[in-house]
Amino acid sequence: MLRTIFRAQHSAAPPGLVFVWLFAVLAPSLMAQTAGMGALTGKVTDPSGAVVANVTVMATSVDNGQTRSTTTGTDGTYKLDGLAAGNYRVKFEASGFKSVELPPATVNGTETAVLDTKLEIGEVGNAIPVNNPAPVSEENLPNAPSASKPPSLQDLGFPAEQSQGDARQQALLDKRTHMLKIHQRLGLITTIPLIATVATSLNAGGKSTSTTSRDLHVALGGLTGDLYFMTAYYAIRAPRVPGTETRGPIRFHKVMAWIHGPGMVLTPILGAIAFDQKSKGEKVHGIASAHGPVAIVTAGAFGAALLSVSVKF
Amino acid sequence: MKKTILMAFALLALPALAPADGQWVLEQCTLTYHVSHPLHQTEAVSHAARGKGFCHAGQCDFLIAVPVKSFDSGDSNRDLHMLQVTRGAEFPMVIVRTRLPESAATSATINVDLEIQFAGQTTQYKQVPFKLETQGGETHITGTIPATLADFKIDPPSLLTMPVKNDIPVRVEMTWRPQ
Repeated sequence: MLRTIFRAQHSAAPPGLVFVWLFAVLAPSLMAQTAGMGALTGKVTDPSGAVVANVTVMATSVDNGQTRSTTTGTDGTYKLDGLAAGNYRVKFEASGFKSVELPPATVNGTETAVLDTKLEIGEVGNAIPVNNPAPVSEENLPNAPSASKPPSLQDLGFPAEQSQGDARQQALLDKRTHMLKIHQRLGLITTIPLIATVATSLNAGGKSTSTTSRDLHVALGGLTGDLYFMTAYYAIRAPRVPGTETRGPIRFHKVMAWIHGPGMVLTPILGAIAFDQKSKGEKVHGIASAHGPVAIVTAGAFGAALLSVSVKF
Repeated sequence: MKKTILMAFALLALPALAPADGQWVLEQCTLTYHVSHPLHQTEAVSHAARGKGFCHAGQCDFLIAVPVKSFDSGDSNRDLHMLQVTRGAEFPMVIVRTRLPESAATSATINVDLEIQFAGQTTQYKQVPFKLETQGGETHITGTIPATLADFKIDPPSLLTMPVKNDIPVRVEMTWRPQ
């Protein structure tokens, strides 16, 4: 909205062009994440042909063992997109049904592979994690053969909830990591226009400023704001893992967010007032004079947040 | 006839002459993995391993298991990423199996063949050296398992687009007690 105000006041100025140029430069790095990716889709039904909702569908890459999972919707369909081209084993698990694992299917970057399946009625909780290695037979144990019975996991007395796999929890972790990776990349990209915005502030706010330098500062600030809020979105929307206590540098990272978050809202508001005063030929005064200090604190907190998870202190 | 009966008794008595079955219990254990990144050197520690050894006829089968999520690096975010990248929710335990002669307990050093299940993969490590020290009936074992991410088909996680090194040596400090 603020940029709209600025554009209305300076429609012939170059910030729009600068914005487009910067975005064109930065966009490929984001777009590259989805290039060459394929998808897998299908429908899950029960023996009567009725669709089955909430089936966990897990695709495991034969090539590198990476796993992606999702659940079927109320119409029994699922879609796994963003899969790297290759061969995938697909497993279906649902309470009350026998789990099904299909032979490897090929996913390529141009077409969506379709894999429908029918589940058979089974016992509740019969799911066995994909790729779970078979128990090691005595003959396969290293070193010399022995007639003794090797100890089993049960002999160690681990509670079942600690020793049994949980595909849903893994899917949650996968989604969290995926979103935080994007958060991290966007955060890095955001630093470029952020530094440029701070650098151009020297020409935008001094005594001898030009309209062009102010417009450039506004355009860079706008781009920084857009990227910043995209970055924040992926952190805020990343799923929380229940029962996890936040410890270590990530606490400082989050504390910094409480400084640079409000700062990223306040800075452009103060900037808009300052811009208006400057455009009228006035000296920046009143609350608008806080624009610079607030921006510096915001940028500093952003940098500290970045460093806190990058460098070990 | 008498001779046959005597021989039968003699054969039945043979197991009693063989060494008695024994057990070992893992009393204490500290496992530490080390991860190297251009900007970080990270260690994560677990004290949650449990283990047992069943011995028979001079051979002992050992099993040691530790929950993946029990490793603590002091950074909850990093530990959750580790859990994700190692598929620790799907395969929550690291399981180590080995077989040793009972006489190994009296040695100062032993070379052990280990079979490790982790992240849905099973890998064998041959002749991993460990130091043994026996004190007050307990045996302290220390050594380092030369594990790598590639051994378990784990994609190296990256920070600031820089991946961690492939080597993740695991330092082992264990105290075993005969039962």
